[in-house]
Amino acid sequence: MSDTKPGAKLWAESILLQLPLRVGLGGVFAFAAYTKIGSTQSFANAIKGFRIVDADKYGHLIVTAAYTMPWIEMIAGVLLVLGLWSRASAVAVWVMLVAFIAALIHVILDESISADCSCFGDMNLVCESTVGWCQVIRNSILLVPCSYLVWRQGGLLALDRVFRDKSKGNDPQWTVDRGGEGA
Amino acid sequence: MKTLQRVLAIVGGAFLIGTVQAVVFGPVTLGPANITTGVDKPKGDPGRAPADPPPAIDGNDTNEDVDPGAAHDAMMDDLQNAVPTTTYSGTGATDPLLDAPVPEGSLTLREAKKLWDEGVYFIDARHEHEFEAGHIQYAAFLESKLFDMDIARANAVMDSIPQDGTIVLYCVGGECDASKNTAALLEQYGYTDLRIMGAGYEHWVAAGFETATGSDGGTP
Repeated sequence: MSDTKPGAKLWAESILLQLPLRVGLGGVFAFAAYTKIGSTQSFANAIKGFRIVDADKYGHLIVTAAYTMPWIEMIAGVLLVLGLWSRASAVAVWVMLVAFIAALIHVILDESISADCSCFGDMNLVCESTVGWCQVIRNSILLVPCSYLVWRQGGLLALDRVFRDKSKGNDPQWTVDRGGEGA
Repeated sequence: MKTLQRVLAIVGGAFLIGTVQAVVFGPVTLGPANITTGVDKPKGDPGRAPADPPPAIDGNDTNEDVDPGAAHDAMMDDLQNAVPTTTYSGTGATDPLLDAPVPEGSLTLREAKKLWDEGVYFIDARHEHEFEAGHIQYAAFLESKLFDMDIARANAVMDSIPQDGTIVLYCVGGECDASKNTAALLEQYGYTDLRIMGAGYEHWVAAGFETATGSDGGTP
């Protein structure tokens, strides 16, 4: 256990799995954020359309979410692409995906609601704009690589490894298995 | 523990940036517009051509080929099966389609048609592809997203409608929010006589009223 150099298996995992999953998932979220940041009014209307909270009583929550959520997506997405704070950004994305899925199912099950997803602003990625099971399936599929990144983190090519806590450098578990970020 | 701290840092950072964005670019509007009810004192476009026979507008705005009879029958089935989910007000039903219950404060199909016949401005707040597939004749396309994403197009529509003109907005009907969202934004631009057609476009089609297809602005 004294050898701290990563093995070929870990390099392969980092290159073939962690790097493309990080860049792919982070890129999707950063792009989704980009489509919303300039369209806050539309996004606020979209959130209101989901009818999760009463817009008359809790409009301030909708406005706060409309301004904050795209930036969470952007920050988490960029961090994932860079491999910085990989686990934390993957956890943030995982929580958002689960929340999105719950909100989508709420809209689908309530037949009186006809809402637009606005997941990618005015663009439709894979699914139609109107909320349906397609978006639930799409987000569920995205949960798979996200869960993997929460578990395995960014890999050896992540910036986490550059900025890791050097005081733990002799711990092979830290430097090799975990790719750099503390739990 | 460090992961939780970092997640909170991401959320906090996003909140701060969002707050700065709200301060710099101004807040968003969620409140409902002041909607005018009924059909009194409409102010429409005096220059609009009469509806019967419907004139073609430069080849783009042509009558849609629909079968009003079949659409009417299908709509009757939908209406009979419909379960109201909010407070509705009717005008004393005489025709199950024209006087079908609509959300309180909005126009029945009969009222909307009366206003259309008087030449008031109609705005289609649905998606653009839905507008192009078919819309109420002379209606202009103005989805609320245009105010964010293509303000030049929104301005072009608003330039064609005087601020004291009567505007009837519609979407797919029932509980759809699109017309209310566009109305709230139009109110910010100074429009005062905004009315919502509670019945949706499909009801208009089912009644056999004038429709058009194409992507033109719709204003006469």
